[in-house]
Amino acid sequence: MNPASKISLRGVHKSFKGHKVLDDISLDILPGESHIIIGLSGAGKSVLLKCILGLIRPDSGSILINGEDWFSLPIEDKLKRMACVGVLFQGSALFDSMPVWENVAFVLRRQGMSKPEARDRAAEVLDWVGLPGICDIMPAELSGGMKKRVGMARAICHRPEIIFYDEPLTGLDPVMSDVITTLMKRLHERMNVTSLTIAHSMKLVREFSDRVSMLYEGRIYQQMSRDEIDTTQDPVFRQFIEGRADGPIHLGNGREAA
Amino acid sequence: MYFLQAIGATAERLAYAIGLYPLLMGKVLGRLHKPPWFFPLIIRQCEMVGVQSLPVVLLTAVFTGMVLALQSWVAFHRFGAESMIATVVSLSMLRELGPVLVGLMVAGRVGASFAAELGTMRVSEQIDALWTLSTDPVRYLVIPRMLAAMLMMPLLVMLADAIGMLGGYVISVNALDQNPHTYIKHSYDYLELIDLYSGLFKAMVFGAIIGLVSCAEGYYCDGGAAGVGKATTRAVVVSAMTILIADYILTAWIFK
Repeated sequence: MNPASKISLRGVHKSFKGHKVLDDISLDILPGESHIIIGLSGAGKSVLLKCILGLIRPDSGSILINGEDWFSLPIEDKLKRMACVGVLFQGSALFDSMPVWENVAFVLRRQGMSKPEARDRAAEVLDWVGLPGICDIMPAELSGGMKKRVGMARAICHRPEIIFYDEPLTGLDPVMSDVITTLMKRLHERMNVTSLTIAHSMKLVREFSDRVSMLYEGRIYQQMSRDEIDTTQDPVFRQFIEGRADGPIHLGNGREAA
Repeated sequence: MYFLQAIGATAERLAYAIGLYPLLMGKVLGRLHKPPWFFPLIIRQCEMVGVQSLPVVLLTAVFTGMVLALQSWVAFHRFGAESMIATVVSLSMLRELGPVLVGLMVAGRVGASFAAELGTMRVSEQIDALWTLSTDPVRYLVIPRMLAAMLMMPLLVMLADAIGMLGGYVISVNALDQNPHTYIKHSYDYLELIDLYSGLFKAMVFGAIIGLVSCAEGYYCDGGAAGVGKATTRAVVVSAMTILIADYILTAWIFK
Protein backbone atom coordinates (compact mmCIF):
# COMPACT_ATOMS: atom_id res chain seq x y z
CA MET A 1 0.00 0.00 0.00
CA ASN A 2 1.41 3.39 -1.00
CA PRO A 3 1.21 5.68 2.06
CA ALA A 4 1.13 8.77 -0.18
CA SER A 5 -2.04 7.59 -1.97
CA LYS A 6 -5.15 9.74 -1.84
CA ILE A 7 -7.27 6.67 -2.56
CA SER A 8 -6.00 3.16 -2.00
CA LEU A 9 -7.80 -0.12 -2.68
CA ARG A 10 -6.48 -3.53 -1.72
CA GLY A 11 -8.04 -6.87 -2.57
CA VAL A 12 -11.56 -5.53 -3.05
CA HIS A 13 -14.14 -8.23 -3.88
CA LYS A 14 -17.83 -7.78 -4.55
CA SER A 15 -20.38 -10.33 -5.74
CA PHE A 16 -24.11 -10.09 -6.37
CA LYS A 17 -26.13 -13.32 -6.03
CA GLY A 18 -23.01 -15.42 -6.62
CA HIS A 19 -21.93 -13.38 -9.65
CA LYS A 20 -18.46 -11.96 -9.10
CA VAL A 21 -18.44 -8.29 -10.18
CA LEU A 22 -15.19 -7.11 -8.59
CA ASP A 23 -12.43 -9.64 -8.11
CA ASP A 24 -9.37 -8.66 -6.10
CA ILE A 25 -9.17 -5.02 -7.15
CA SER A 26 -6.08 -3.14 -5.99
CA LEU A 27 -5.49 0.43 -7.04
CA ASP A 28 -3.61 3.51 -5.84
CA ILE A 29 -4.54 7.04 -6.84
CA LEU A 30 -1.99 9.68 -5.98
CA PRO A 31 -2.72 13.26 -4.85
CA GLY A 32 -3.43 15.57 -7.79
CA GLU A 33 -3.70 12.67 -10.21
CA SER A 34 -6.43 12.33 -12.80
CA HIS A 35 -7.16 8.62 -13.01
CA ILE A 36 -9.65 7.18 -15.49
CA ILE A 37 -11.17 3.72 -15.29
CA ILE A 38 -12.38 2.32 -18.58
CA GLY A 39 -14.11 -0.93 -19.39
CA LEU A 40 -17.06 -2.53 -21.14
CA SER A 41 -20.61 -1.71 -20.07
CA GLY A 42 -21.42 -3.97 -17.12
CA ALA A 43 -17.75 -4.49 -16.26
CA GLY A 44 -18.36 -3.24 -12.71
CA LYS A 45 -16.98 0.30 -13.03
CA SER A 46 -19.96 1.96 -11.36
CA VAL A 47 -20.00 -0.73 -8.63
CA LEU A 48 -16.35 0.04 -7.98
CA LEU A 49 -17.11 3.75 -7.74
CA LYS A 50 -20.01 3.09 -5.35
CA CYS A 51 -17.74 0.92 -3.18
CA ILE A 52 -15.17 3.73 -2.98
CA LEU A 53 -17.92 6.24 -2.10
CA GLY A 54 -19.25 3.97 0.65
CA LEU A 55 -22.58 3.43 -1.08
CA ILE A 56 -21.97 -0.33 -1.44
CA ARG A 57 -20.01 -2.34 1.10
CA PRO A 58 -17.46 -4.67 -0.55
CA ASP A 59 -17.48 -8.34 0.51
CA SER A 60 -13.80 -8.12 1.43
CA GLY A 61 -10.74 -5.93 0.97
CA SER A 62 -9.90 -2.45 2.15
CA ILE A 63 -10.60 1.00 0.75
CA LEU A 64 -8.69 3.91 2.22
CA ILE A 65 -9.35 7.56 1.43
CA ASN A 66 -6.77 9.97 2.84
CA GLY A 67 -5.39 6.95 4.70
CA GLU A 68 -8.65 6.19 6.53
CA ASP A 69 -11.04 3.28 6.16
CA TRP A 70 -14.39 5.08 6.01
CA PHE A 71 -16.37 1.86 6.41
CA SER A 72 -15.00 1.48 9.94
CA LEU A 73 -16.12 4.98 11.00
CA PRO A 74 -19.43 5.85 12.71
CA ILE A 75 -21.96 7.23 10.26
CA GLU A 76 -21.65 10.85 11.49
CA ASP A 77 -17.86 10.83 11.01
CA LYS A 78 -18.25 9.22 7.60
CA LEU A 79 -20.63 11.99 6.53
CA LYS A 80 -18.22 14.66 7.78
CA ARG A 81 -15.41 13.10 5.73
CA MET A 82 -17.70 13.20 2.68
CA ALA A 83 -17.29 16.99 2.61
CA CYS A 84 -13.86 16.46 1.04
CA VAL A 85 -15.32 14.76 -2.05
CA GLY A 86 -17.51 15.91 -4.91
CA VAL A 87 -19.38 13.61 -7.27
CA LEU A 88 -20.76 14.21 -10.74
CA PHE A 89 -23.34 11.48 -11.32
CA GLN A 90 -24.05 9.95 -14.72
CA GLY A 91 -27.63 11.25 -14.73
CA SER A 92 -26.63 14.40 -12.77
CA ALA A 93 -28.96 13.31 -9.87
CA LEU A 94 -30.17 16.86 -9.23
CA PHE A 95 -32.90 17.22 -6.59
CA ASP A 96 -36.14 17.89 -8.49
CA SER A 97 -37.81 19.62 -5.56
CA MET A 98 -35.36 22.51 -5.24
CA PRO A 99 -34.16 25.25 -7.60
CA VAL A 100 -30.74 25.12 -9.18
CA TRP A 101 -29.00 27.34 -6.63
CA GLU A 102 -30.21 25.21 -3.70
CA ASN A 103 -28.92 22.12 -5.48
CA VAL A 104 -25.54 23.73 -6.03
CA ALA A 105 -25.23 25.15 -2.51
CA PHE A 106 -26.66 22.09 -0.77
CA VAL A 107 -23.51 21.21 1.19
CA LEU A 108 -22.81 24.85 2.06
CA ARG A 109 -26.32 25.24 3.52
CA ARG A 110 -25.87 21.99 5.45
CA GLN A 111 -22.59 23.38 6.80
CA GLY A 112 -24.50 26.38 8.15
CA MET A 113 -23.76 29.07 5.53
CA SER A 114 -26.46 31.77 5.42
CA LYS A 115 -28.96 31.72 2.55
CA PRO A 116 -27.75 34.94 0.79
CA GLU A 117 -24.10 33.95 1.10
CA ALA A 118 -24.76 30.40 -0.19
CA ARG A 119 -26.79 31.77 -3.07
CA ASP A 120 -23.99 34.17 -4.04
CA ARG A 121 -21.45 31.35 -3.94
CA ALA A 122 -23.75 29.12 -6.04
CA ALA A 123 -24.21 31.95 -8.59
CA GLU A 124 -20.44 32.38 -8.78
CA VAL A 125 -19.84 28.65 -9.44
CA LEU A 126 -22.70 28.49 -11.94
CA ASP A 127 -21.12 31.41 -13.73
CA TRP A 128 -17.82 29.50 -13.80
CA VAL A 129 -19.46 26.48 -15.48
CA GLY A 130 -21.01 28.82 -18.06
CA LEU A 131 -24.55 29.01 -16.70
CA PRO A 132 -25.13 32.54 -15.41
CA GLY A 133 -28.62 33.64 -14.37
CA ILE A 134 -30.23 30.25 -13.84
CA CYS A 135 -30.26 30.24 -10.02
CA ASP A 136 -34.03 30.10 -9.64
CA ILE A 137 -34.80 27.65 -12.44
CA MET A 138 -36.01 24.17 -11.49
CA PRO A 139 -33.91 21.18 -12.73
CA ALA A 140 -36.83 19.87 -14.84
CA GLU A 141 -36.52 22.96 -17.06
CA LEU A 142 -32.86 22.29 -17.95
CA SER A 143 -31.41 20.41 -20.94
CA GLY A 144 -29.15 17.35 -20.43
CA GLY A 145 -25.97 19.38 -20.95
CA MET A 146 -27.11 22.10 -18.55
CA LYS A 147 -27.99 19.49 -15.91
CA LYS A 148 -24.51 18.02 -16.26
CA ARG A 149 -22.93 21.44 -15.71
CA VAL A 150 -25.20 22.15 -12.71
CA GLY A 151 -24.17 18.71 -11.38
CA MET A 152 -20.56 19.73 -11.82
CA ALA A 153 -21.19 23.05 -10.06
CA ARG A 154 -22.75 21.11 -7.15
CA ALA A 155 -19.77 18.76 -7.04
CA ILE A 156 -17.22 21.60 -6.74
CA CYS A 157 -19.13 24.30 -4.85
CA HIS A 158 -17.76 23.22 -1.46
CA ARG A 159 -14.18 23.00 -2.83
CA PRO A 160 -13.55 19.26 -2.47
CA GLU A 161 -10.11 17.61 -2.54
CA ILE A 162 -11.27 14.63 -4.60
CA ILE A 163 -13.78 14.61 -7.46
CA PHE A 164 -15.46 11.52 -8.83
CA TYR A 165 -16.96 11.63 -12.32
CA ASP A 166 -19.34 8.81 -13.26
CA GLU A 167 -19.45 8.69 -17.06
CA PRO A 168 -19.48 12.49 -17.41
CA LEU A 169 -19.95 12.55 -21.19
CA THR A 170 -22.67 9.91 -21.53
CA GLY A 171 -25.71 11.18 -23.42
CA LEU A 172 -24.12 14.47 -24.53
CA ASP A 173 -23.61 15.78 -28.04
CA PRO A 174 -19.97 16.26 -29.23
CA VAL A 175 -20.00 20.00 -28.57
CA MET A 176 -21.34 19.63 -25.04
CA SER A 177 -18.88 16.77 -24.45
CA ASP A 178 -16.07 19.16 -25.33
CA VAL A 179 -17.50 21.83 -23.00
CA ILE A 180 -17.58 19.35 -20.09
CA THR A 181 -14.08 18.02 -20.89
CA THR A 182 -12.73 21.58 -20.96
CA LEU A 183 -14.37 22.33 -17.61
CA MET A 184 -12.88 19.16 -16.10
CA LYS A 185 -9.42 20.13 -17.36
CA ARG A 186 -9.74 23.73 -16.10
CA LEU A 187 -10.90 22.46 -12.73
CA HIS A 188 -8.01 20.04 -12.50
CA GLU A 189 -5.48 22.75 -13.33
CA ARG A 190 -7.07 25.45 -11.18
CA MET A 191 -7.85 23.51 -8.01
CA ASN A 192 -5.27 20.73 -8.34
CA VAL A 193 -7.86 18.19 -7.21
CA THR A 194 -7.47 14.44 -7.35
CA SER A 195 -9.99 12.91 -9.68
CA LEU A 196 -11.29 9.46 -10.48
CA THR A 197 -13.35 9.17 -13.62
CA ILE A 198 -15.43 6.29 -14.95
CA ALA A 199 -15.56 6.66 -18.73
CA HIS A 200 -16.05 5.04 -22.10
CA SER A 201 -14.82 7.95 -24.16
CA MET A 202 -11.26 7.50 -25.43
CA LYS A 203 -11.21 11.21 -26.33
CA LEU A 204 -11.68 12.01 -22.65
CA VAL A 205 -9.00 9.48 -21.71
CA ARG A 206 -6.50 11.07 -24.10
CA GLU A 207 -7.29 14.64 -23.03
CA PHE A 208 -7.88 14.30 -19.30
CA SER A 209 -6.12 11.28 -17.78
CA ASP A 210 -2.72 11.02 -16.13
CA ARG A 211 -3.18 7.28 -15.76
CA VAL A 212 -5.78 4.88 -17.03
CA SER A 213 -6.90 1.47 -15.72
CA MET A 214 -8.93 -1.02 -17.68
CA LEU A 215 -11.48 -3.05 -15.73
CA TYR A 216 -12.13 -6.36 -17.46
CA GLU A 217 -13.84 -9.48 -16.09
CA GLY A 218 -13.91 -7.99 -12.59
CA ARG A 219 -10.18 -7.27 -12.43
CA ILE A 220 -7.86 -4.38 -13.19
CA TYR A 221 -6.67 -5.86 -16.46
CA GLN A 222 -4.08 -3.26 -17.24
CA GLN A 223 -2.89 0.10 -15.96
CA MET A 224 -0.82 2.57 -17.93
CA SER A 225 0.02 6.24 -18.33
CA ARG A 226 -1.73 8.37 -20.95
CA ASP A 227 1.36 8.29 -23.20
CA GLU A 228 1.34 4.49 -23.32
CA ILE A 229 -2.25 4.18 -24.53
CA ASP A 230 -1.50 4.44 -28.22
CA THR A 231 1.66 2.34 -28.14
CA THR A 232 0.39 -0.66 -26.18
CA GLN A 233 0.12 -3.86 -28.18
CA ASP A 234 -2.14 -5.69 -25.75
CA PRO A 235 -4.93 -7.13 -27.95
CA VAL A 236 -7.75 -6.62 -25.42
CA PHE A 237 -6.77 -3.02 -24.74
CA ARG A 238 -6.29 -2.30 -28.43
CA GLN A 239 -9.71 -3.75 -29.30
CA PHE A 240 -11.32 -1.55 -26.64
CA ILE A 241 -9.62 1.72 -27.60
CA GLU A 242 -10.18 1.09 -31.31
CA GLY A 243 -13.83 0.22 -30.65
CA ARG A 244 -13.84 -2.98 -32.73
CA ALA A 245 -16.43 -5.74 -32.36
CA ASP A 246 -13.99 -8.44 -33.46
CA GLY A 247 -11.25 -9.46 -31.10
CA PRO A 248 -10.47 -11.33 -27.92
CA ILE A 249 -12.83 -9.40 -25.62
CA HIS A 250 -15.29 -11.69 -23.92
CA LEU A 251 -18.69 -10.04 -24.10
CA GLY A 252 -20.13 -11.77 -21.06
CA ASN A 253 -22.82 -13.73 -22.89
CA GLY A 254 -20.81 -16.92 -23.18
CA ARG A 255 -19.37 -16.05 -26.61
CA GLU A 256 -16.24 -14.35 -27.79
CA ALA A 257 -16.66 -11.25 -29.90
CA ALA A 258 -17.29 -12.17 -33.51
CA MET B 1 -37.61 -29.79 -8.97
CA TYR B 2 -38.47 -26.60 -10.84
CA PHE B 3 -41.57 -26.22 -8.67
CA LEU B 4 -39.47 -26.46 -5.48
CA GLN B 5 -36.97 -23.95 -6.86
CA ALA B 6 -39.82 -21.54 -7.65
CA ILE B 7 -41.20 -21.90 -4.10
CA GLY B 8 -37.71 -21.35 -2.67
CA ALA B 9 -37.16 -18.25 -4.81
CA THR B 10 -40.57 -16.83 -3.84
CA ALA B 11 -39.88 -17.48 -0.13
CA GLU B 12 -36.49 -15.79 -0.46
CA ARG B 13 -38.05 -12.73 -2.14
CA LEU B 14 -40.75 -12.57 0.53
CA ALA B 15 -38.25 -12.86 3.38
CA TYR B 16 -36.13 -10.16 1.75
CA ALA B 17 -39.13 -7.84 1.32
CA ILE B 18 -40.38 -8.38 4.88
CA GLY B 19 -36.85 -7.94 6.24
CA LEU B 20 -36.68 -4.43 4.77
CA TYR B 21 -39.20 -3.03 7.25
CA PRO B 22 -37.35 -3.95 10.47
CA LEU B 23 -34.10 -2.96 8.77
CA LEU B 24 -35.33 0.57 8.07
CA MET B 25 -37.07 0.76 11.47
CA GLY B 26 -33.74 -0.08 13.14
CA LYS B 27 -32.02 2.70 11.18
CA VAL B 28 -34.73 5.19 12.18
CA LEU B 29 -34.67 4.25 15.87
CA GLY B 30 -30.87 4.40 15.92
CA ARG B 31 -30.95 8.01 14.72
CA LEU B 32 -33.99 9.52 16.46
CA HIS B 33 -32.24 10.47 19.68
CA LYS B 34 -29.53 12.59 18.07
CA PRO B 35 -29.69 15.77 15.92
CA PRO B 36 -30.01 16.93 13.19
CA TRP B 37 -33.81 16.54 13.01
CA PHE B 38 -34.60 18.71 9.96
CA PHE B 39 -37.65 20.47 11.48
CA PRO B 40 -38.54 22.45 8.31
CA LEU B 41 -38.79 19.14 6.42
CA ILE B 42 -40.98 17.63 9.16
CA ILE B 43 -43.32 20.64 8.93
CA ARG B 44 -43.42 20.39 5.12
CA GLN B 45 -44.30 16.70 5.35
CA CYS B 46 -46.96 17.42 8.01
CA GLU B 47 -48.55 19.85 5.57
CA MET B 48 -48.42 17.21 2.83
CA VAL B 49 -49.80 14.38 5.01
CA GLY B 50 -52.25 16.41 7.07
CA VAL B 51 -53.51 19.47 5.23
CA GLN B 52 -53.46 18.01 1.74
CA SER B 53 -55.26 14.84 2.85
CA LEU B 54 -58.12 16.81 4.44
CA PRO B 55 -60.50 16.87 1.43
CA VAL B 56 -60.36 13.13 0.78
CA VAL B 57 -60.49 12.23 4.48
CA LEU B 58 -63.38 14.54 5.32
CA LEU B 59 -65.40 13.46 2.28
CA THR B 60 -64.92 9.82 3.24
CA ALA B 61 -65.90 10.54 6.85
CA VAL B 62 -69.06 12.52 6.11
CA PHE B 63 -70.44 9.86 3.75
CA THR B 64 -69.48 7.07 6.13
CA GLY B 65 -71.40 8.79 8.95
CA MET B 66 -74.42 9.29 6.67
CA VAL B 67 -74.46 5.67 5.47
CA LEU B 68 -73.96 4.42 9.01
CA ALA B 69 -77.02 6.40 10.18
CA LEU B 70 -79.18 5.01 7.36
CA GLN B 71 -78.07 1.40 7.90
CA SER B 72 -78.48 1.64 11.67
CA TRP B 73 -81.99 3.04 11.21
CA VAL B 74 -83.00 0.00 9.12
CA ALA B 75 -81.90 -2.35 11.89
CA PHE B 76 -83.13 -0.37 14.90
CA HIS B 77 -86.47 0.50 13.28
CA ARG B 78 -87.36 -3.22 13.33
CA PHE B 79 -87.48 -3.26 17.11
CA GLY B 80 -88.28 0.39 17.80
CA ALA B 81 -84.85 1.51 19.03
CA GLU B 82 -84.22 4.33 16.53
CA SER B 83 -82.95 6.62 19.28
CA MET B 84 -79.81 4.45 19.53
CA ILE B 85 -78.67 5.46 16.02
CA ALA B 86 -76.66 8.36 17.46
CA THR B 87 -74.78 6.09 19.88
CA VAL B 88 -73.96 3.56 17.17
CA VAL B 89 -72.71 6.29 14.81
CA SER B 90 -70.50 7.98 17.40
CA LEU B 91 -69.11 4.75 18.89
CA SER B 92 -68.40 3.23 15.47
CA MET B 93 -66.71 6.37 14.19
CA LEU B 94 -64.52 6.88 17.25
CA ARG B 95 -63.53 3.29 17.94
CA GLU B 96 -63.31 1.78 14.49
CA LEU B 97 -64.38 3.52 11.32
CA GLY B 98 -62.57 6.81 11.92
CA PRO B 99 -59.07 5.36 12.36
CA VAL B 100 -59.45 2.50 9.87
CA LEU B 101 -61.00 4.49 7.03
CA VAL B 102 -58.63 7.42 7.49
CA GLY B 103 -55.76 4.93 7.65
CA LEU B 104 -56.81 3.32 4.38
CA MET B 105 -57.34 6.67 2.64
CA VAL B 106 -53.98 8.01 3.84
CA ALA B 107 -52.28 4.73 2.86
CA GLY B 108 -53.64 5.22 -0.68
CA ARG B 109 -52.82 8.89 -0.99
CA VAL B 110 -49.73 9.47 1.14
CA GLY B 111 -48.25 5.95 1.11
CA ALA B 112 -48.24 5.91 -2.69
CA SER B 113 -46.69 9.37 -2.76
CA PHE B 114 -43.91 8.45 -0.27
CA ALA B 115 -43.02 5.26 -2.12
CA ALA B 116 -43.08 6.87 -5.57
CA GLU B 117 -41.07 9.89 -4.46
CA LEU B 118 -38.36 7.93 -2.64
CA GLY B 119 -38.35 5.23 -5.33
CA THR B 120 -37.76 7.82 -8.05
CA MET B 121 -35.01 9.40 -5.96
CA ARG B 122 -33.43 5.96 -5.53
CA VAL B 123 -33.42 4.98 -9.22
CA SER B 124 -32.25 8.44 -10.36
CA GLU B 125 -29.36 8.27 -7.83
CA GLN B 126 -30.65 11.26 -5.84
CA ILE B 127 -30.44 9.22 -2.61
CA ASP B 128 -26.83 8.32 -3.44
CA ALA B 129 -26.22 12.01 -4.18
CA LEU B 130 -27.52 12.97 -0.72
CA TRP B 131 -24.99 10.63 0.84
CA THR B 132 -22.14 12.16 -1.14
CA LEU B 133 -23.34 15.64 -0.09
CA SER B 134 -22.68 14.80 3.58
CA THR B 135 -26.35 14.15 4.32
CA ASP B 136 -27.80 11.01 5.82
CA PRO B 137 -30.77 10.03 3.60
CA VAL B 138 -32.56 8.26 6.47
CA ARG B 139 -32.55 11.44 8.54
CA TYR B 140 -33.32 13.71 5.59
CA LEU B 141 -35.98 11.68 3.81
CA VAL B 142 -37.36 8.89 5.99
CA ILE B 143 -37.61 10.31 9.52
CA PRO B 144 -39.56 13.49 8.54
CA ARG B 145 -42.07 11.39 6.58
CA MET B 146 -42.53 8.82 9.35
CA LEU B 147 -42.92 11.47 12.06
CA ALA B 148 -45.37 13.45 9.92
CA ALA B 149 -47.52 10.37 9.31
CA MET B 150 -47.53 9.50 13.04
CA LEU B 151 -48.34 13.06 14.13
CA MET B 152 -50.95 13.89 11.50
CA MET B 153 -52.97 10.67 11.58
CA PRO B 154 -54.53 11.30 15.05
CA LEU B 155 -55.41 14.88 14.02
CA LEU B 156 -57.03 13.68 10.81
CA VAL B 157 -58.94 11.01 12.72
CA MET B 158 -60.24 13.58 15.25
CA LEU B 159 -61.58 15.69 12.40
CA ALA B 160 -62.96 12.63 10.60
CA ASP B 161 -64.74 11.50 13.79
CA ALA B 162 -66.37 14.91 14.18
CA ILE B 163 -67.39 15.18 10.52
CA GLY B 164 -68.66 11.57 10.45
CA MET B 165 -70.83 12.25 13.50
CA LEU B 166 -72.07 15.42 11.84
CA GLY B 167 -72.99 13.43 8.70
CA GLY B 168 -74.96 10.98 10.86
CA TYR B 169 -76.70 13.90 12.59
CA VAL B 170 -77.70 15.58 9.32
CA ILE B 171 -79.25 12.39 7.91
CA SER B 172 -80.91 11.34 11.17
CA VAL B 173 -82.48 14.74 11.82
CA ASN B 174 -83.44 15.64 8.25
CA ALA B 175 -84.23 12.31 6.62
CA LEU B 176 -85.10 10.01 9.53
CA ASP B 177 -87.11 12.45 11.66
CA GLN B 178 -84.96 12.09 14.75
CA ASN B 179 -85.16 14.73 17.47
CA PRO B 180 -81.97 16.87 17.23
CA HIS B 181 -81.60 17.33 21.01
CA THR B 182 -82.06 13.64 21.75
CA TYR B 183 -79.66 12.75 18.94
CA ILE B 184 -76.92 15.00 20.32
CA LYS B 185 -77.53 13.75 23.87
CA HIS B 186 -77.33 10.11 22.78
CA SER B 187 -74.20 10.80 20.79
CA TYR B 188 -72.30 11.64 23.99
CA ASP B 189 -74.16 9.91 26.81
CA TYR B 190 -72.81 6.44 26.17
CA LEU B 191 -69.30 7.45 25.16
CA GLU B 192 -66.25 6.92 27.38
CA LEU B 193 -62.87 8.59 27.06
CA ILE B 194 -61.26 5.24 26.20
CA ASP B 195 -63.38 5.21 23.00
CA LEU B 196 -61.70 8.41 21.85
CA TYR B 197 -58.20 7.58 23.10
CA SER B 198 -58.17 4.08 21.66
CA GLY B 199 -59.10 5.46 18.22
CA LEU B 200 -56.37 8.08 18.39
CA PHE B 201 -53.83 5.52 19.56
CA LYS B 202 -54.78 3.26 16.66
CA ALA B 203 -54.41 6.23 14.31
CA MET B 204 -50.86 6.85 15.50
CA VAL B 205 -49.95 3.18 15.02
CA PHE B 206 -51.50 3.21 11.54
CA GLY B 207 -49.48 6.35 10.75
CA ALA B 208 -46.30 4.55 11.78
CA ILE B 209 -47.25 1.57 9.58
CA ILE B 210 -47.93 3.78 6.55
CA GLY B 211 -44.72 5.75 7.07
CA LEU B 212 -42.52 2.69 7.58
CA VAL B 213 -43.94 0.48 4.82
CA SER B 214 -44.08 3.15 2.13
CA CYS B 215 -40.70 4.68 2.98
CA ALA B 216 -39.09 1.20 3.02
CA GLU B 217 -40.64 0.29 -0.33
CA GLY B 218 -39.37 3.51 -1.91
CA TYR B 219 -36.01 3.62 -0.14
CA TYR B 220 -35.00 0.08 -1.13
CA CYS B 221 -36.60 0.24 -4.58
CA ASP B 222 -34.70 -0.95 -7.64
CA GLY B 223 -35.40 -1.82 -11.26
CA GLY B 224 -36.01 1.59 -12.86
CA ALA B 225 -39.46 2.94 -13.67
CA ALA B 226 -41.08 -0.51 -13.45
CA GLY B 227 -39.49 -0.98 -10.02
CA VAL B 228 -40.95 2.33 -8.82
CA GLY B 229 -44.41 1.25 -10.04
CA LYS B 230 -44.16 -2.08 -8.21
CA ALA B 231 -42.86 -0.42 -5.04
CA THR B 232 -45.77 2.06 -5.08
CA THR B 233 -48.33 -0.72 -5.50
CA ARG B 234 -46.72 -2.80 -2.74
CA ALA B 235 -46.62 0.23 -0.43
CA VAL B 236 -50.38 0.75 -0.71
CA VAL B 237 -51.35 -2.95 -0.56
CA VAL B 238 -49.02 -3.87 2.31
CA SER B 239 -49.95 -0.73 4.29
CA ALA B 240 -53.68 -1.41 3.87
CA MET B 241 -53.40 -5.09 4.79
CA THR B 242 -51.17 -4.35 7.78
CA ILE B 243 -53.57 -1.67 9.00
CA LEU B 244 -56.46 -4.17 8.98
CA ILE B 245 -54.42 -6.85 10.77
CA ALA B 246 -53.07 -4.33 13.30
CA ASP B 247 -56.61 -3.04 13.85
CA TYR B 248 -57.78 -6.46 14.98
CA ILE B 249 -54.76 -6.96 17.26
CA LEU B 250 -55.12 -3.48 18.82
CA THR B 251 -58.88 -3.85 19.27
CA ALA B 252 -58.47 -7.23 20.95
CA TRP B 253 -55.75 -5.80 23.20
CA ILE B 254 -57.46 -2.53 24.14
CA PHE B 255 -60.98 -3.90 24.78
CA LYS B 256 -60.16 -7.24 26.30
